[in-house]
This record gives sequence, C-alpha cells and structure tokens, in this order.
Amino acid sequence: MEVLNHLLLGLSVALTPVNLLYLFAGVMIGMIVGIIPGFGPSAGIAILLPITFGMEPTGAVIMLAAIYYGSMYGGTITSILLNTPGESSTVASTFDGYPLAQQGRAGPALVMQAVASFVGGTIGVILITVLAPLFTQVTRSFGPPEFFLLVMMGLATLIVMIGGNWRYGVISALIGFALGTVGVDLETGQTRFTFKSAEMIVGIDFIPIAIGLFGLGELYYALYTGLHLKGSGGIVRYDKEQRFWPGARDYIETKFSLVRGSLLGFVIGVIPGAGATVASLMAYSVEKSASPTPEKFGKGAMAGLVGPEAANNAASSGAMVPLLTLGIPGSASTAVLLAAFVLWGLTPGPLLMTQKPEFAWGLIASMYLGNVALLALNIFAIPLFVQMIKLPYRILAPAVVLVCTIGTYSVNGSIVETWLMFAAGLVGFFMRCYGFSPAALVLALVLGPLAEQSLRQTLTISGGSFAIFLDRPMSLWILAITAVVLAAGIAIRSVGKA
Amino acid sequence: MGGRVVRAAFLLVLLFAASWYSWTAFSELNYLSSAGRLGPGFFPRFIGASLVLVLAYSLFADLRGKPSEGAISPNWRTAAVFALLCAVFVALLNLLGGLLAMVAFMAGSLGYLNRGRALQNLLVSILLPLAMYLVFSVWLKATLPRGLLTLPF
Repeated sequence: MEVLNHLLLGLSVALTPVNLLYLFAGVMIGMIVGIIPGFGPSAGIAILLPITFGMEPTGAVIMLAAIYYGSMYGGTITSILLNTPGESSTVASTFDGYPLAQQGRAGPALVMQAVASFVGGTIGVILITVLAPLFTQVTRSFGPPEFFLLVMMGLATLIVMIGGNWRYGVISALIGFALGTVGVDLETGQTRFTFKSAEMIVGIDFIPIAIGLFGLGELYYALYTGLHLKGSGGIVRYDKEQRFWPGARDYIETKFSLVRGSLLGFVIGVIPGAGATVASLMAYSVEKSASPTPEKFGKGAMAGLVGPEAANNAASSGAMVPLLTLGIPGSASTAVLLAAFVLWGLTPGPLLMTQKPEFAWGLIASMYLGNVALLALNIFAIPLFVQMIKLPYRILAPAVVLVCTIGTYSVNGSIVETWLMFAAGLVGFFMRCYGFSPAALVLALVLGPLAEQSLRQTLTISGGSFAIFLDRPMSLWILAITAVVLAAGIAIRSVGKA
Repeated sequence: MGGRVVRAAFLLVLLFAASWYSWTAFSELNYLSSAGRLGPGFFPRFIGASLVLVLAYSLFADLRGKPSEGAISPNWRTAAVFALLCAVFVALLNLLGGLLAMVAFMAGSLGYLNRGRALQNLLVSILLPLAMYLVFSVWLKATLPRGLLTLPF
C-alpha cells in the first residue's frame, strides 16, 4: 500500500505539463541517439547535460533518464533494417532481426521489438517500484567496507562480462582510478598531479572524458572502419500497409520469451557492471536453448529478437536500482546519470528515497509514462526514424563533433576541458581499436574518489587490517555474490569460446 | 603486423605515463598523513604500481604472443585527417569564436568527407552551425567561446 502511495506521489510529479514535455523530449532524443551508430547513451546524456542547467532538477533528470532508456529502443531499428546495431546492447537484435527483415517481415519485426522493449521496460519499472524500497532497507546498514567492495564488484563484473582481453579491462579501470586521484586530497588538502594548474585543483571532470571516449573516440573508429563510405542502400524496405503488423502466431510463439527476457534482463541489470549488452546476449542464448527449434535461430526466429529486446530494456531499468539505492552506477551511462544527480545537488544512496521521495518516485513514475510514449513512437514514427538512418555518416560525423564540442565547452566555459575531450577522443579511438574498455575507465573515474575514501576509512577502522572484509556479514555477502557473478561470467565466456 | 606495432606503441605510451604517475606518487605524496592516518599517497601508489605491472606484463605478453591483429585499415588516413580537423577546430574556437569556428570546421570536414557536393556542403556548413548557435547560445543560453573576432550580434 505504501508503494502505491509513493507511486501516486511520483505520478503527480511526472504528470505536470513541464515534466511531460521534458519526458517526451528525452524519449525522442534517446531514440535519435540510439539510431546513430557509434553514438551511445553515455555520450548523448553527457553532451546534453549542460542544456538541462536551466531546468528544474526533477524535470532535468526525467529527461536525461528518458534519453538513457529511449536509446535502447532506437538502437534496434538500425539492427533490423541495416544489420548495424545503433547500440552495443542491440547487437543480439541483428542476429534474427535482420534475417526477418530480409524475408519481408521487417514490419512485424519492428512492431514486435517495440512491444518487447515496452514489456521489458515496464516489467523492469514494476520491479524497481517493488524492490527499490527493499534494497534501501538493506543498504542502510552498509558502511565503508561494503561501499568499497560494491565498487570493486561493479568494475570486476564489467571487466569479466564485457569480454575481450581481461588485462586491457583492468588497465582501463586503473587509468580511470588514476585520473580520479587528480586534484585536492579531501582529507589532507594536499594537491595531487595538478601540474600546479588552477583548473586541475578541482580534479578531472568526467564529462569531457566521457564525451571524448564515447563520442569522438567512437566517431574516429567509425571512420577508421569505413562507415562513412556506406550509403543508405543497405536499408531493407518494409511494407507499410498489408504486412506491417505481426500475426497472432508471433505473439503466441514469443509470450514466454517476453517474460524470460524481462526477468533475466532485470536481474543482470541490477548487478553493477553487467549491463544491457550482457543481458541481451545472455537472453539470446537462453532463448536458443529453450526453443524447440534452435536451428531457426540466426535465420529469422522471432523469439531470437524478442528475448534480447525485452532483456536490454529490463536491464536498463534494473541498472537504476543500484544507482537510486546505493549511489553506485552499474554502467557508463548510469555513471553519467549519477553525475547529473550530483550536479543537481541530489545524492543517490540509501537516504534518497526517504529524503527526496518526490524526486525518486517522480523519476520512477516517469519511466512508466516514458515506456508508453516510446511504444507509440516506435510503431507510428518508424518512417521518420528510417529517414534519419538514411542521413549519410559523412555528414553526420562533423555534426556530432559540433554537438560534442559545444556540450563540453558549455559545462564550465573551459577551453582546457575542450582539449581534454579531444585528447580523450584519441585515447578512446585506440582503446576501441585494441579492445580496451572505455566504460570501465569512466566508471572507475566516477567511482574512484568513493573507492579511495571508503578504503581509507575501512583501513582506519580496522587499524590497517584487510581482514575486516571477512569479519562483517554484509561484506561477506557482497564477496560471495561477487564470486558467483564472476564465476558465472567466466563460465559464460568459456562456453562462448567453446 | 602494422596493427600490432601500433598497439605496442600505444601500450608503451601508457606505460610511460603510468611510470611518471607512480614516480610522482612515491616521491611526492606521503603514504601517511601528519595525523598518522593513511595519506594522499596511499591510493595513488597502489594504483600506479598496479598499472605499471599490468602494462609491462601486457606489453611483454603481446610482443611474445602470436600476432592477432591484421593490417591497419586503409581508412586510417581518413580518421587521422578528421582528428586533425577536430584539433584545428578546437584551436580556432578561441580565435574565431564559436559560430565562425563551427562554420570553418564544417566546411573543411565536409569538403574532405563529402567531396563533389559543393552546394550541399556550402548549405550544411552555414545552416547547421547557425541552427546550433541559435539553439544553444540564444535559446538555451549555453556558453560559447566569443573569440578574438567578436560578431556584431
């Protein structure tokens, strides 16, 4: 009953005309961000963060969160029509989405992905509504040891789950931690690695780093792989009249895939570091294993599209749980959202839902409305988004640079930070080329100060002994969960390689 | 072969930077504070030393292992020229100001990436920066560099 009261409070906040306007702007921008290959929600949110400075905090965060989950919907359109995922989390949607489009079933595939995204997103928000208050109860007893272990858990999970060379994942995270130590040490007041520059005393702002790594770095990589040479000729045409809508058989065949994908996606999303990409790939494997006709997968099986789509949207909702209840972002995108919260003077964590209920529940309620708006947009505005896909990358690339540069400069009016973004773009390009993890770098940069502070506090409490991590029941629980998650991640990777 | 060399060079640059970071952490930052608690050098020393070790091992393992990367993409020149244009754009921001630097960057990069479409490039180079200027600077009041050459509006 208490949950319902909270939700009603949230709806009263989200349903104001101004917040509804921000919500619709956010889902629309999110769709566009999702459609542009190599331009993810992390860069999208970071770039648009400065334009929210004139807004009221709740409206601003509602809009930025809408960009985040809206991009999950948009990324699939290019996966189905162009065989090019707009987001890494929609890679799995190319496996069967594109074959379906080639078979003349692009319309049903687009509608079913919208329905799956809606179901996944909505189940995810329902689970947030029920579970977030429970998480808040548990996390109130967390102290510095638990916060340090949670940060480590998030990074370790990210490194193991993303795949590729684990050493490069570790290097990425360590670089992020190193960048996070720049500036004044809050305990002693001593400056560190500042080159005696006044601008560096406050530390390295992660916005130019995030925009550089995810915006410019991806852009250079797209040019390096020749994306600018591709025209729009590869877009599969779809029938807007007779064969646009899915048949009853499509819904009946995929009803369990929707539920499986949603639940799996939410659980994966809650684990810091795992994220929507891992969730969608795991959901694809699960659907293939559960299907009576696994041989159809990869050749146009609707369940192979619906399961991962439900999963990646539920995961994006799930990732909001550690963010809202612990203040720990589970992914690079939620790390950018965390920065937005902090900019607005809101401290996510165990006390947020009790001290700022109108904000926390307003955000949660807006996600219900956002998913409804995205369902309608995805079905009725597809022709508009198809036109956007046709925009050549050779024109899009310079336009994205303009947005990245203005976005970075306008935060603090700093040309130093603009150069920092440019340098991060070059580093991001090489990281992308050689399998490093920009997400781990950004996550470590954002969480580095928290990790350092909580580790120092922990060792002060214990008198320098690391055994404190084994003495506290909550720490032991986190260590056990981390071990299980890492073992599962390693097992999944081993099975994938076999 | 080419890709492997560039990757090794990238790791070497990171190793050099990590070595400097570690050296600073060990030589300039105290392990303990004056109050006897863990000081500002504790965490950076741990991070720096770990980074040097993992980078050195990765470099060693990569150079000893089988070459996994193929040749460098033939489009590397496009990416490099575009990155150079971006650097020139950032340099021009303080000189020409936001709007003129955007127009110059769009003209330069479209002239390179979208060759043979002069009219399209001209229109996009003028209209897009103008639209962005109006949206960001005029409507949203975002800060843009004014430059040395101030505009009459």
